[in-house]
Formats: sequence, structure tokens, C-alpha cells
Amino acid sequence: MGKEFDISRIVQFIKRDLTLQKNTITIGLLVGSIVLFLLYLFNMVWDKRLSADEFLGSFSLCYFPLGIFYVYTMLREFQNPKFNHSYLSLPVSNLERITAKWLNGALLYTLVFSLIGIIVGILAMMVGIVVFGAEMHVTAFFSENYWKVVKLFLLIQPTFMVGALTFSKNRVGKTLMVLGLLFIGFLLFNFIGFGILNHDFGVFSGESSGSEAFDRASQDFSVLGRWFYGLIFGPLMLVVAYFKMVEKEV
Amino acid sequence: MDFDNSKPIYLQIVDFFYENILEKRWQEEERIPSVREVAMMVEVNPNTAIRAFNHLQDLEVIYNKRGIGYFVSQDGFSKVLEIKRREFMEQTLPDVFKKMSLMDIPFDELKNAYNQQKKK
Amino acid sequence: MLTLKQLQFHYPNSRPVLKSVNLSFKPGGIYGLFGKNGEGKSTLMKLVSGLLNPKMGLCSLKGRSTQSRSVATLRDLFLVPEDFELPGLPIQTYEKVHSSFYPNFSKETFYNLIEEFRLSPNQVISRLSFGQKKKVLIALGLAANTPLLLMDEPTNGLDIPSKSQLRRILASYVDDGKCIIIATHQVRDLHSLIDHVVILDNAQVIFDSPLSDVSEKLWFGKASKENEASALFSESTFGGKAIFPREDRDESEIDLELLFNAVLTEPTQINTLLNSINHG
Repeated sequence: MGKEFDISRIVQFIKRDLTLQKNTITIGLLVGSIVLFLLYLFNMVWDKRLSADEFLGSFSLCYFPLGIFYVYTMLREFQNPKFNHSYLSLPVSNLERITAKWLNGALLYTLVFSLIGIIVGILAMMVGIVVFGAEMHVTAFFSENYWKVVKLFLLIQPTFMVGALTFSKNRVGKTLMVLGLLFIGFLLFNFIGFGILNHDFGVFSGESSGSEAFDRASQDFSVLGRWFYGLIFGPLMLVVAYFKMVEKEV
Repeated sequence: MDFDNSKPIYLQIVDFFYENILEKRWQEEERIPSVREVAMMVEVNPNTAIRAFNHLQDLEVIYNKRGIGYFVSQDGFSKVLEIKRREFMEQTLPDVFKKMSLMDIPFDELKNAYNQQKKK
Repeated sequence: MLTLKQLQFHYPNSRPVLKSVNLSFKPGGIYGLFGKNGEGKSTLMKLVSGLLNPKMGLCSLKGRSTQSRSVATLRDLFLVPEDFELPGLPIQTYEKVHSSFYPNFSKETFYNLIEEFRLSPNQVISRLSFGQKKKVLIALGLAANTPLLLMDEPTNGLDIPSKSQLRRILASYVDDGKCIIIATHQVRDLHSLIDHVVILDNAQVIFDSPLSDVSEKLWFGKASKENEASALFSESTFGGKAIFPREDRDESEIDLELLFNAVLTEPTQINTLLNSINHG
């Protein structure tokens, strides 16, 4: 009694979410699988094989939109004034809520969809072999690039959580817009920051072209920035999402 | 149960008890429904039902066996009869007399009506 | 058990809905929260259950502020709102995913109530009428066995037999450890169950009294030529119902609707009478 953070309650809460959204989830995964299957096949038509890059490319094309869609599905109850009384008055603490939503929307989803990606991939390959004689080609699914894709998803997923918790109408569109603006802002900030900190490169010297400076800026971003944003940005957005939950009223 | 608008509900529940005892639906020394059951039966707050039970206990119409429930007293029937008789004599009759004098109905007419009713 | 201290609330850019509300609720009672439409009944219920944050003041349940929505507080209360939707699940699935959050949940009570309400566990909630959905939520709330149960207009959408069912069920549900607050403008529906009345008007509590005090000090009857002058309040119609100081008259049944109208028109007179005898 009195515990405000309880693992079994988090599990219960995830179960509840899955049960409530069962239909949407099933349809979403079904559509995702079909699209993924078609993409795999499409990639096999030309060269009769499915390379690791093609495999991952098709996967990402479904993984991201579906993941974002899932975030909004999961948090739909939160914004709907006809439903959110039972959501908000359920004896679950805010910390448990955010943990459950993140575990569900980020980890569980990635796990499930990766499995689907592999199974559908094998299926597509088998169909490819039978239909247009594609060669059997075993791809290493868990390549370095796969982890990069997952990392990127985990990085931006909390932002969409914040979006889903903030806007009540046109949630996806508004989040994308804000994200776009943020991205441009960050780029500009990095660019200027880089220019000041690395004066030697002569970003502002006028000699080198803007594009070169841009390249350099992003190169630097990839080293230091990736650490900074990669480690800070995601968790920061989770913290923002947490406070959005705390201050939510009907 | 439909409530009369002038009498407190607990007294109406008491009347309901009287009726059951007078019509021998509830026998003497027999267990009667619990407070909660009565509250449910008549759709009232249990606190109101408790008032009715206490009232009847004060009048010694019912008694409480600790941990078992409420029972109609050994002489519950005669107690109720006495109460109802008094009520009739002290409340109903004066009312009838008042109306009779208001409408100028002689006592003989009442007597005839009574005898006719009895013959049926 | 539940204490509201100088509770204030207003929605963004609007007049105050509640200004400085002080109330205290004890276990073992059924409280009727009355008020005209839009006088803050629903807002008060939402504040109590932590769905809204007060602008000022405090609302605490068993000494803990409800605003923080802690697990310890939320599992002690259940709200049946006035207007709501439930997901498209079978009743029993809906029960399964919610009951585990309430430590004292009684499945037996839940399914008994579902049966009593003439519903069946495998009916899909989204195909039920609004009144039936309300019954499902009321059953869940009662089965959750929380010390505090809040119901906002519970009889809205219920037909006449269902209202009677609800009265019977509520009568069996109250015990010394529980407190039920029912907000309604349909004073008649549950009048036989309520034992404490709170009336909201003009964003304030204008009446807060147990009915035992009311029946001790007020007398409800018909107005006549002889007693007209002493009436505290009377309906305008000829021979209409009226409220008098009880003095040495026999106890009368409380007419809640009449009391409600009287308090709205003559709040000070009624309150003074109730309080004066209290201290005298």
C-alpha cells in the first residue's frame, strides 16, 4: 500500500492500454505488415535479391510512421474529454503512466515490429524465390544500421509523445510542424555555435562556401552534437511529457 | 414503497412493520429482515431504517438478538394491536367526528352504515 | 474524511465557478449536492477527484491533497461522471482491465450488480444505451469499494425502474466506512437516500446541513389562513406547501424540493433558524 511506483501496476496499465486499443493495434500492424511485404517484394523485382540496406530501408519506412501513429493511439484517451475521466482517475501515478507509455510505445513496439519485420521479410523472400526466382540471400537484420534506426526512433519518439499530450486537434500535423521549426532552430544554433567555437574553420570568412560550412557544422554535430542531443534530447522530452501529464486537467 | 408526503419516512416504515405483524406475515418470535434488507426493500438510507428499528425496539414490538438479528417480541402482536387501537381512537376517530359535524351527519346514519358493512 | 478548504475555481477567462468553498464530508453518509444547472456541482466533483486543480485552497482526502493524483488517493475514490464514453469492450473485459487497480475490488459485487441491472457480462459496452453504460460504470464504482464514491447526476439517462434499482442498490451499499456524494438537480430521484444536503448557488455553499437537523427544526406542511404568517417559505399557489419553524409539532417528512426552493429564495432565514436552535 501507498507505493507510488509499482512494476506490477505498470504491467497492468500496459495491459489495459493494449486491451483498450486492441482493434486499432491489430489493424495498424496488419496494414504495416502488408505494406512492408509489398515494399520488400518491390525491392526484389529489379535485382532479384533483398540486400541488407533495402531490407532496412523498407523496414524504416514502415517502422517510423507506424510508431508515431502508435504513440497517438496510445495517448488518444488522454485528450478525449469523454474518456479521460476514467484515464485520469485511475489509481496509477504519473511516473507509472509515463513509464508504461514509454515502455509500450518505444520498447514493446520496437520489439514487436522488428519481429514482424523479420517474419514478413522471410515470407517476402520465400515468395520472391518462388515467383520471380530471387536468390536466397540471408541478410543480417541486426546490423549496425538497424541499431542506428532504432536509436533515432527512440530519440524522436518522446517528442511525439509530447506532441500527442499537448495538442488536442491535428496532433500529428502540429507536432511535425513544431518539430520542423525546432530542427531548423537547432541547425541554426549549431551552425552559429560551431562558427563561434571553431573560428579556425573560417565559417564566416566568406572564403568557403556556405554549403561547405554546413557540411562541417553537421560533421561536428555528428560527433559532439550526437552525444549531446542523443543523450539529452530524448530524456528531456520524456521529462516534458511527464510534466504535461502532471498538469493535465479535464 | 410509495411515500406519503406528510409522515416521516421512518414512521412509514414502522407502519409497514405493523401491517406485517397484524396480518401475521411476521409471527411472534420470528426473525424479521435486517436493517439493510429493509433499507433495500423500501429504498431508503439505512440510517432511516435504523430509526424505524430503534423506534419499534423502544415500543418493545421487536427485540434484538445480538449477532443474529431482530425478532418480533413474544407479545408483539398484542402490542401492535394496542398501538393501532390507540392510534385509531386518538387520531382517526376524532377526524371522522370532526367531518361528521362539519357535514351534519347524524350518528344513526353512521351506525346503519357500519351494520350494513358488517353484514356483507 | 474529505475536507474542502477555501476552495476557489474558475475556468480560463470566465467568472468564478466556486469562490471559497468550505465543506467537510464524513464517512457513513449519503450527501446530496444540489444546485441549479451550471452552479458548479460538476466542477466541485472534478476538483474533489483531482481532475481539476483548484486556483486557491485545498481539497484533501484522508489528509492527502487530491490535486496530486497520487495512487494512495486515487484508489480511495471513484467518480461516475455525468457525461462519458466507455470503450467498445465486453463488460467483463472492461472489468478485468480496471478491477486490478482497486485493492478492495469485489468481483462478486460487480457481477451481482450487472445481473441486477439486467445486463450480461459479455455484452459489448459500445452497443449499450447511455443509461446502460451508466449502470456499468456505477457497478464498477460500487464494486471498487472505495471509501469515497462520487456520482454526478447518476439518475440521468435511467428509466423509472432503473432509478428504483439504483436506490435499492445504494441503500444496501452504504456502511459506516463509506461516503457517497451525489450531485444532482433532480432532487426527487434519490431523496429517500440522502441524509445530508449541500446546496450550491452563485458559486458558493448556501446550505450545508444534515437532514436530521432539518427535520428537528423545520416543519413541512400546507399553508392555511391560520399559519400563513409564520411560514418561512411557501409556494405561491393557493394551499401550496410551506415550511414553518417546527416548534412543538410532530415531525414531518422533509420535502427536499421545497427545501431547495426555500433555501434558494430565503437562504438567510432558513440558515438562521437552523443555526440558532443549534446553539440555543
